[in-house]
Amino acid sequence: MLRYILSRLLLMIPTFLGILIINFAVLRLESDPLDAEAGMGGAKGGEGVSAERKASAGTKRYENLIDRRRRAGNDLPALVNLRGFLTKEDLVERLRRAAPGSGLKDSQRNQIEKETWQLGAPAVRPLAEVLADPALADLHGPASEAFSLCAYTTLYQADLENLGADRINAIRARNDRLQKQVIVYEPAARGTRVTDPQAEAKRAAMAELAAQGDYARDRRWSAILLDTGFSTFVGRLFTGNLYSETKKRYVFELIAERWQVTFWLNITAVALAWLVAIPLGIRSARRQGTLEDKTTTNVLFLLWSLPSFFVGTMLLHLFCTAHTGQPLFPNRGLSSEDSLWYSTPGYLLDVLWHAFLPLVTLTYASFTSLSRYMRGNLLGELHADYARTARAKGCDGDRVVYGHCLRNSMITMITLAAGLLSELFAGALIVEMIFSINGLGWLLLDAAIQRDAPLVMGATVIQVSLLLVGILIADLLYGVADPRLRSRYG
Amino acid sequence: MAERPGQSFGERIWAHLRRSPGAMAGLSLVALAFLAAIYAPFISGEAALLWYEPGQGLSSPVLVDIFNRWSYRRPHDLVFNLAALLLPPLAVGWWALRRWSVGRRLRWSLGLLVLATAACWAPWLPGANGWQSVWRERALPERNAAVLASSTVAGRWALMPPIPHRYDSTWQGAVLVPPGTVNPATGARFWLGTDSVGKDVAAQLVMGARISLTVGLVATGLAMSIGLLIGAASGFFGGWIDLVLQRIVEIMLCFPTFILILTVVAMLGRDVFIIMTVIGLTAWAGTARLVRGEFMAQAVRDYVAAGQVLGLSRRRLMFRHILPNALTPLLISATFGVAGAVGSEAALSFIGLGDPTAASWGALLEQGRQNIKYAWLIYVPGLAVFALVTALNLVGNALREALDPKRR
Repeated sequence: MLRYILSRLLLMIPTFLGILIINFAVLRLESDPLDAEAGMGGAKGGEGVSAERKASAGTKRYENLIDRRRRAGNDLPALVNLRGFLTKEDLVERLRRAAPGSGLKDSQRNQIEKETWQLGAPAVRPLAEVLADPALADLHGPASEAFSLCAYTTLYQADLENLGADRINAIRARNDRLQKQVIVYEPAARGTRVTDPQAEAKRAAMAELAAQGDYARDRRWSAILLDTGFSTFVGRLFTGNLYSETKKRYVFELIAERWQVTFWLNITAVALAWLVAIPLGIRSARRQGTLEDKTTTNVLFLLWSLPSFFVGTMLLHLFCTAHTGQPLFPNRGLSSEDSLWYSTPGYLLDVLWHAFLPLVTLTYASFTSLSRYMRGNLLGELHADYARTARAKGCDGDRVVYGHCLRNSMITMITLAAGLLSELFAGALIVEMIFSINGLGWLLLDAAIQRDAPLVMGATVIQVSLLLVGILIADLLYGVADPRLRSRYG
Repeated sequence: MAERPGQSFGERIWAHLRRSPGAMAGLSLVALAFLAAIYAPFISGEAALLWYEPGQGLSSPVLVDIFNRWSYRRPHDLVFNLAALLLPPLAVGWWALRRWSVGRRLRWSLGLLVLATAACWAPWLPGANGWQSVWRERALPERNAAVLASSTVAGRWALMPPIPHRYDSTWQGAVLVPPGTVNPATGARFWLGTDSVGKDVAAQLVMGARISLTVGLVATGLAMSIGLLIGAASGFFGGWIDLVLQRIVEIMLCFPTFILILTVVAMLGRDVFIIMTVIGLTAWAGTARLVRGEFMAQAVRDYVAAGQVLGLSRRRLMFRHILPNALTPLLISATFGVAGAVGSEAALSFIGLGDPTAASWGALLEQGRQNIKYAWLIYVPGLAVFALVTALNLVGNALREALDPKRR
């Protein structure tokens, strides 16, 4: 038994890994926000603003963008990080290729420049070496830009919570200082020309900043696999550090909060669906071929084809709109605004009143598949030899159905029930949106539309994990329902 | 069931479908949707079908307009427009060549359509600025209903489409008007009212059929192709290939696809072709499983062993010998797949992630949700989606009952 469970769990690992990879790929799909902005440096800005101010403002803007990319984990290479092995020569080459007159197209130069800015901490030391070399004066302008952006420290939410106020202030002061060290330059025919009278002082300051920061940590070997986009994503996922930028909240916190609403709705809907559909299926199977059976089957078929967004909107139109006088049902939320002051039974009635139409929309479609499976399976069993034998020996109909056949036809129902666990978690996206229910589904819908990938992917991973657990439980339940299958457990 | 020995696969299916009233109702509804989609420019549009101008004679602006890239921007519009022209000759051809098998006639018709599309798309006409294609930006039709209504020229007459409004023209004077209201600019009626920016609902309904069917067909085609390849490889080769491919299939089966589609479409852009591709890329897992099962069952049959002994290549064995025997589940799942894709597209538009430049039933219904009192905005697109999905499901159901060996 234990061995069986273990082997099943082992088989789930590749599946789970695959899910993580798809999630990660979707996270990386986000279009490059850096591309949206044009070049920076002294070239932009209104008239009458000093070149100094313009350079500083440009750096600030890019700091924000790089900050955003880092928070999404998108600044790191996807799977293999070799940035720890960057040398001064590599950076000189990059800066030369990005400089005017390198023979590359403007868009390519832009691309290289931005990639350089996103190199982060590993590039700080080599850049400092470039800046210390007087022979490379033509690159000092762009190198100082790259330096200030690479050395910029992102304060994550966790840092704000865990680091002391002193430390946070120190980091902020350092970021501010970095911003002021950009050397003003202008493009020349080949490369760039430094026009900043304070260039020397700035270079000295940068050398000092590079020496005192924690860029000296030598972990380039471990970074190859551990400091990549994918490992960052997985790390944040498992430590609960996935952070939603649009909602300014931790993903799992937010999900747990909204799930409380969705859970009650879902569990009622699932219970209703099973309680109605199973007896319906049994009844249909026992009256196979009668008018009642045919009507049920056809009506359920039509219900199954009805799109839920249409049904929801239709119900909203029919029952929640004041055509004449008071509408029959409320059109939003799960309770009245003043429901906190109701007595307990009054509150329950209020919630039921609010939840009625959403529940109808949630359940009608699952009647069909459930009762159809039930009917099909039970029919198969009722026509089996052992059922005929039982009837021949004088068993009455109820006994044959409930005593003998039902248990055998439960196998498929267990397969269907495997999805229950994740169904309870997954919000009904569209139904919650139509009825303005502040649950998980609406949250995720909103997150997807606003491209808040960490939120969507966090929820997806939970949902898939629950599904995998459900499948495992179902596997074990097969044995309970059908002792013949127990031999598999070995 | 009666199965004559010489009956082809297509004939056998047809014989079954003809006997089921549900399937026939479904098929006629699907055919109706296709006709509406194909003849959309002739049903709703601003170009006159026929226009008689004294002194200039008779002309048919719509026949020029269907090759106008300004009026019909997307490639699938070109395909549908060409189908509108090709359908009558093809129908005659089908009747004339009725001794050919259904499959052969179908292949020829589709081939002709593809050829015609290529001919209209390729730039081979000499023009003022280099080579031009037949399908290009042309002047918008000046002979439209508004002109007809505003000026009176003695002897001029015109035959307009039954809905003389384009799906994307906004009529400021007629916002959210109920069905049957007269458009002050053209004098024509809005048969199904207008939406909140003053677009004709009936015209959007007709053009929406194009989007629904295109998304349904292309997405399902993509899903079937991927599912077929993966399922075939998995079932035929077995071993570690099967193990790896089945893990991939399992991943796709576990994934909550709708939210994945939503996120990817939100990130990559709200474009019809992105939408179809994403729907197609997420819908193949079930098919792959079905095909794998069929291939596994067929791979141990004697005819496969015979083929191997004869030295047939694996590809020939897989796709010429086994595939025809595994076509049944593929066909059934394709029918349900189209229904699912139509529903997905409508749901996506309903959420507000549809193509903003296309007429979509889901987007119309979304307007209904925001203007909940206006019944025509809810029931017209809602019933359209319902009818098409039900019709496809009916056909799929009948196919399953007819072809599923377990039910026979």
